[in-house]
Amino acid sequence: MAISRDGAVENARKDLANRLNIDPGDVKERSVEDSDFPDLSLGAAEDGEMSGQMITPGWRIRLEAQGKTFEYRADKNQVRLYKFKGKNYRI
Amino acid sequence: MNRNNIFIHLALALVLILVAAFAGQLNRMRKQWKPVQIVPTEDKKRPRTAEEMALSEARPSGRPEVLVKFKTGVSRSAIEALTLRLNDRIEDRIEHSAGWESVDDLDNADAEAIVAEYSKLPEVEYVEPNFEIELSEVEEGNPLLPVLPHDPQFNEQWALANSGQRGGTQGADISATLAWATTTGDDDIVVAVLDSGVDYTHEDLITNMWMRPANMAPYQDAELGPVDDVHGFNAIDNDSDPMDENGHGTHCAGIIGAEGENNLGIAGVNWKVKIMPLKFMGAGGFGTTKDAIEAINYVIDRKKAGVNVRVISASWGGTMRSRALEDVIRKAYENDILFVAAAGNASVNNDRRPHYPSSYNVPNVISVAALDRNDQLAKFSNYGAKSVAIAAPGVDILSTWLGNAYEEKSGTSMATPVVSGVAALILAENPRMPVDELRSRILGAVDPLAVLKGKTVTGGRINAAKALAD
Repeated sequence: MAISRDGAVENARKDLANRLNIDPGDVKERSVEDSDFPDLSLGAAEDGEMSGQMITPGWRIRLEAQGKTFEYRADKNQVRLYKFKGKNYRI
Repeated sequence: MNRNNIFIHLALALVLILVAAFAGQLNRMRKQWKPVQIVPTEDKKRPRTAEEMALSEARPSGRPEVLVKFKTGVSRSAIEALTLRLNDRIEDRIEHSAGWESVDDLDNADAEAIVAEYSKLPEVEYVEPNFEIELSEVEEGNPLLPVLPHDPQFNEQWALANSGQRGGTQGADISATLAWATTTGDDDIVVAVLDSGVDYTHEDLITNMWMRPANMAPYQDAELGPVDDVHGFNAIDNDSDPMDENGHGTHCAGIIGAEGENNLGIAGVNWKVKIMPLKFMGAGGFGTTKDAIEAINYVIDRKKAGVNVRVISASWGGTMRSRALEDVIRKAYENDILFVAAAGNASVNNDRRPHYPSSYNVPNVISVAALDRNDQLAKFSNYGAKSVAIAAPGVDILSTWLGNAYEEKSGTSMATPVVSGVAALILAENPRMPVDELRSRILGAVDPLAVLKGKTVTGGRINAAKALAD
């Protein structure tokens, strides 16, 4: 089923809270922007992952927690965490 | 002079003036009266072959000619009246493209001026010079004529025929319509689309989908045993169903080989070809190196089993180098299979930051950058004077999509199947051409672009007509 913009933000918030072991209410939404990503892994491929090289519309989600900003990237098919501790994750 | 003489002289002068005026009007009318000549067309159901075109064409030398596409609903009489008013002559109707007229200018204005004149008319959809191209046929006096399909959305396929539509640059295309005067493809040529699978039920693809011949044994996977690969191969689920769940692979397949001249949707670079669908990327459009390798091994196996698969189109990639992937691509080379790969969409120089598989230094790999409709390197496209071979149209490309739909997409993903498609056209004319020669032929058939100097190996945009000219 296709992921909506709000659904993507909610998934991202829960994922970050889980990773940081904090309450989801402590994760603040800084911004959500429409964005064109360079490929079907939303410019956030995991190691060894191959993706279609097609410009892909989606959303760039910036969340704040523990005084830091975290970037998630999402489209109708997926949500990804961009460079969390130097690595990309597909959630 | 008495009073009567004055009247006589005045009357004579009036008569002379009237005679002069009448003669002038007659002269103007004579100049304007140019009979509209319409060469009757035969009711042909198929496009003309190059040979037929060479025989039929007798364009007067030195007289400019343009191809005009009138809007739907503009009547025959209105077209005739319009060309008459502009002192032009309808030289010919273009048989296999409704609404197209070949217009001959009787004032000998240059082609660009005629194009500009017609472009302003509300009745005209678009207009282009009837280009002569530097092919051997032209030198021998047998110019190729563009071949235009009836597919209703062909006018939106700027990559194949750029008439300047939607702010583009006329001629910034791969000269497909001239290539089609030589061949529109051959369904003996199989192109493997290694991707998210293909919607093999799409109405504009179904005729051109590969199916395992009934007399060929099913694929034997080393671990899984027999796989009934009637439609191709799915390396994710290790089964026989390569149905696309994303749309990306279906889009790429349509660029290579949406059926042409079928009055549906679009035309592929090949009107006739066989697309072998391979699925290693899922609904999200991403996959693993391991599954890509499995799918390439499948292609090699089928080649050895007798399938004439000569091209793998790979509109995907990543930044991690894999020796195993490189090795299997080399194995494809050893089996005479070309591997066309997307240069990537990160706007970076691949000479410094390689993108794989396009950056593998294997002799069958062609790395492809993307151009927009104005012959500019797409802002997202990777490049590389040493590592990116060639450029092809890759912005706002209309092609097939899931559910019998059509969508415009952008990316080096879209440029890659353009090159794969041209490779298939070359093979249609030269079925036994070895992969090294095929690659050289493609890289030697470019239109040089200043914007690509120092950005790609060839510095040019692929030209399908040139690729078929040798």
